[in-house]
Amino acid sequence: MSRKTIRVTTDVGGTFTDLVCFETDHATGESHVLTAKSDTTPPNFEQGVLNVIEKAGIMASTIDFLAHGTTVVINALTERKGAKVGLISTEGFRDILEIARGNRPDFFNLNYRKPPPFVPRHLRAELPGRLSYKGEESTPLDMAALPSIIDMFRAEGVQAIAVCFLHSYTNSSHEQAVTAEIRRLWPEVSVVASHQITREWREYERTNTTVLSAYVQPVAERYLSRLRSGLTDRGFSGNLFIMQSNCGVDSVDSTSATPITMVESGPASGFWGAAELGRMIGEPNVLALDIGGTTAKCSLIENGQVRIMTDYWIERDRTSAGYPIMVPVVDLVEIGNGGGSIAWVDEFAKLHVGPKSAGASPGPAAYGRGGTDATTTDANLWLGRINRDYFCGGSVKADMEAAERALEALGAKIGISTTDVARGIIRIANNNMTNALKLISLNRGFDPRDFTLVAFGGGGAMHAVALGMELGVRKVVIPASASVFSAWGMMMSDLRHDYFVTRLMDMAEGAESAIGTLFAEIEAAATERFVQESVPAESIRFIRYVKLRYQNQEHTTEVPIPAEDLAAGHLADILAAFHQTYEREYTYRLDAPVEMVGVHLVASAAVGKLNMKERPSGTPDANGALKGRRQVDYAQDGLHEAAIYNGDRLASGMRFHGPAIVEDSGTTIVIHPGNTVSVDGYGNLHILLVSGEAA
Amino acid sequence: MNDSTGQASHDPITLEIIQNSLQAVADEMFATMRKTAMSSIIYEVLDMGTGILDARGRIASSGAGIPSFVGVLDKAVQVLLAKFPQETIRPGDVFITNDPYYGGVTHLNDLVVAMPVFAEGCLIAWTANIAHNSDVGGMAPGSLSVQATEIFQEGLRLPAIRLIDAGEANESVFAILRCNSRMPNFLEGDLWAAIAAVRIGARRLTELATKYGIETFETAMEGFMTFGEKVTLSTLATLPHGTFELDEEQDDGRVYNVKVTISPNEFVVDLRNNPDQDVGPTNTSRDGAMICAQMMLKALCAPQSPANDGTFRPIRLLTREGSVFHAREPAAIGFYFETEVRVFDLIWRCLAQHMPQRLGAGHFATIGGTFIGGIHPDTGRQYTIIEPQIGGWGGREGHDGNSALFSGFHGETYNCPAEISEARNGLHIGRMALHTGPGGEGQWCGGRGIVIDYGVRQDNSFLTIGYTRSRIMPWSLKEGHEGTGNYALILRCDGTQERHAFISGLRVDKGDVIRIVTGTGGGYGNPALRDRALVARDVKNGLITAEHAQRIYTT
Repeated sequence: MSRKTIRVTTDVGGTFTDLVCFETDHATGESHVLTAKSDTTPPNFEQGVLNVIEKAGIMASTIDFLAHGTTVVINALTERKGAKVGLISTEGFRDILEIARGNRPDFFNLNYRKPPPFVPRHLRAELPGRLSYKGEESTPLDMAALPSIIDMFRAEGVQAIAVCFLHSYTNSSHEQAVTAEIRRLWPEVSVVASHQITREWREYERTNTTVLSAYVQPVAERYLSRLRSGLTDRGFSGNLFIMQSNCGVDSVDSTSATPITMVESGPASGFWGAAELGRMIGEPNVLALDIGGTTAKCSLIENGQVRIMTDYWIERDRTSAGYPIMVPVVDLVEIGNGGGSIAWVDEFAKLHVGPKSAGASPGPAAYGRGGTDATTTDANLWLGRINRDYFCGGSVKADMEAAERALEALGAKIGISTTDVARGIIRIANNNMTNALKLISLNRGFDPRDFTLVAFGGGGAMHAVALGMELGVRKVVIPASASVFSAWGMMMSDLRHDYFVTRLMDMAEGAESAIGTLFAEIEAAATERFVQESVPAESIRFIRYVKLRYQNQEHTTEVPIPAEDLAAGHLADILAAFHQTYEREYTYRLDAPVEMVGVHLVASAAVGKLNMKERPSGTPDANGALKGRRQVDYAQDGLHEAAIYNGDRLASGMRFHGPAIVEDSGTTIVIHPGNTVSVDGYGNLHILLVSGEAA
Repeated sequence: MNDSTGQASHDPITLEIIQNSLQAVADEMFATMRKTAMSSIIYEVLDMGTGILDARGRIASSGAGIPSFVGVLDKAVQVLLAKFPQETIRPGDVFITNDPYYGGVTHLNDLVVAMPVFAEGCLIAWTANIAHNSDVGGMAPGSLSVQATEIFQEGLRLPAIRLIDAGEANESVFAILRCNSRMPNFLEGDLWAAIAAVRIGARRLTELATKYGIETFETAMEGFMTFGEKVTLSTLATLPHGTFELDEEQDDGRVYNVKVTISPNEFVVDLRNNPDQDVGPTNTSRDGAMICAQMMLKALCAPQSPANDGTFRPIRLLTREGSVFHAREPAAIGFYFETEVRVFDLIWRCLAQHMPQRLGAGHFATIGGTFIGGIHPDTGRQYTIIEPQIGGWGGREGHDGNSALFSGFHGETYNCPAEISEARNGLHIGRMALHTGPGGEGQWCGGRGIVIDYGVRQDNSFLTIGYTRSRIMPWSLKEGHEGTGNYALILRCDGTQERHAFISGLRVDKGDVIRIVTGTGGGYGNPALRDRALVARDVKNGLITAEHAQRIYTT
């Protein structure tokens, strides 16, 4: 048959729909990379995907593997463009959705506004029936009122129903009975019950998660089915996978049932890519940093594993409580600092950068589209870090006069020069990002010096070295094609499900077998789901974690345990690992009983991921890639004449030193004085930092 | 700018970066404590605060949490500085106080832990935190009793002492603490969480000061406080100036008085004309009254900007020693929080009449301290619930009040999920709902309080509560209707009912239901002016009956 494998990823963004295609020749193992871009087409987003495939000149019928990432779910939530939802709760608890947790993060503000619930009170119904926290039925479920509730929902124009009962994380029978009855009474309506999404306790978080899943379900179902039929019409017969927030991909059917799992899929693929890259180059401990136009995001990868949690909220910040979504999401910290972030001076003459962004339009002042605000990008241009004659890969002529005007005006407000204000912007932006990186490392007891910083996204490579020096990391790695790194990560993703199940248990004698039984149950369910998706049982890999705490604490520490059944002696090992992890993170340990609150199972199977081929090392002489020299202002590291390299011409084995700049059409890499750079067999740049020069 | 010659190292960007880091460190301390605490009152309710102070004990930055704890830590550290000669304070030391007569400000349950921070051998700052501990001894479980008449009955007093000596824990103090608590494991776990937080904060500050130089670090701290003062003064200039006075009757019949004088550079709160201190535990220290003034000033002046020593410099507080707002040792003080929330609400009400565009109508205005304890019917272990309550907030210009929110004294405070409470405490929670019913109507309505039913599953359990605003209702503004009160109803299994607002150690048995009801906030503006569409929506949502709407909203 074909001697090539064609893998395509598409990613729907706010402005553009991006495509990356890897065409791998079976004989040589070499991959040819092709990228394309077309406009995003709201509200029929699938059209943009079909367009970009066509624009790239790829025949849909030749694609073997298609992975797709989309912001359709998060957009429906933030723009409030979802379905009208009706909620069915346990009797006495319909107001849980509105009561929420009662917190007021903006705590000095007496005019705070609590975020309103997604379902108004008259569409929140109740049914009698109670389960205890042990999963025992104390009051039988009474569905007598259900037909009249359905009638009311129909009359009110409800399009999706969410069902969430107390303690359903431990016994889902009442939810199952009610959803079955709703499907019988009203087959056309979307319906989702909490146990389909999460098996963890906390009724507000679970109820809200179910409601938001119902809210986006009709939109997502419609989108995914149109996308699938559009591709099928064009002859596509390969596997279509949808990127998830847990760094894995999933089938279309599975995603359509609980689309809320896509909510944070955007950043997930990049972080997965960083983990894969780390494994490939023998750097299993990675600080991953993704700097885009509006925000910077970072995540910590320990021992090759991304950290997946279910403590995810949207619209939560210092001024709002936001809304919880209890689904597996890669643990990340996001701040409002990107290339387009606007620098501004407050009424007390303090300089700030972000979180407001100039966006794509008008964009940074240097775009010359009428923007008058100075952004991080303008500062980078002014300081010579970005090449003014090769702005956006030469596609935009940098309007340096506009950039100067914007910076000068800003500097005048605080009485400093244009150059000093540009340096100030870089330093403050770097400081904001350093604090975010500290949150995921130092704050959890990890020493950044034990990690490699992997930076990607449009702006990652510009700031990475300065951040790395600040944090004391020894090495920064800029992946080959850093600007399409997320697409690469998506291509490397496994089919993956994360199961979080609440189960309170003393870590005392006998716990081993109970834990083993619980995992066996979840693994059986996971296997069944994979087999339904035509994944052979023998290719499934499991990773087991237990969530432990000292008795009576609230927050848990996740500890990995062996994948096979636990022998009697294992309990002591697990406890030792818990005490050790706990002490690393919190500086002390206690001689107190330990209890388990729940488990976390990762079930994954590889689905034809890309196998990268390493090229042999050539000459260390990088002069062939040298394209010139220019003055570059390294802020605190001073003004230097830097060697400018053409990124496209750097090859395996080349070495050179900073001060230098590497440019290609999508990325600018800023290399500071004293750094040593080498190019590896995959085209990644390894930048060795000199320690102790950070100040 | 590697060289530290003169001005170069004090460039505004460096100072800004250090100031950002002060905020980040305070937040990191907060996160650490939250994650490691043993008591739900700390990790869930977040009845705690963290802060960074300068070498003189002035607050420079504070972590998230509750506003009423922001102003506590400076007072504690200043007492430590007065008591311990500088040369005896060493790296690795950790101090503790809980006594309002020794810088503790609040009550004995709140342990303040403070650690000096050194760089190059110099004391450059302090890190500190405060958190409510479940039991510190005293006459009643949970240490709080409405029967207390002296502070000695409210637990173990720690009069600003050294807990860890240059890194060596003073085992004697730990032993005394454990021995005096009904819940020694919780106390010890929570205390270590607090110690972990100050240590992490101290480590970060040392790194900062070493990196940028001590002088630059200190300049940045000083500048941050000056900035705080500037922010306050700039808003103070825009407020209505003058002297405003209010008398308000309380649930117990006493009358409280406040006079507030606002000028472009001063915010004077005069509480001298108030009753003598109470024989019971509803007194506050002068420091506690100061915190109320600080919170109200901050609510008026750029509430989202940093709060530090400078922010509060324009305050002048006048109190009379021996009065309920300036208790004299050894007055009992356990329920200080209800007294403080009254002062806070008193100042709020006094000012709202004169600036209704800035301040809304009164809220349910109780901490709602609720203590339920007994033996867990399934595990046989002792449990104690210690939690504040959520309730309705007042309407304000352009907006109905929030429903089901903690009082103005709290902030990043979380209620306990029913699923967790049932598992942990072995109670049966029959409902958790908005409290509907008449009250709080207006052009902009008060938000709703809540109703929670705790079904008791084990004989010989107890209930202690201390709610105010039970008889005197949340106040309205501009012809709105007043809100409703806070109380607990005991539905005995024999069919009888009792209503309580302030009671200690009430016995409850298997089959009894404790029903907690919190108030609707006050209404704002004449109900006749309410948009008809909003009235129709309220009726549809079951927040008000059609008949009642007809009666209230037709003129």
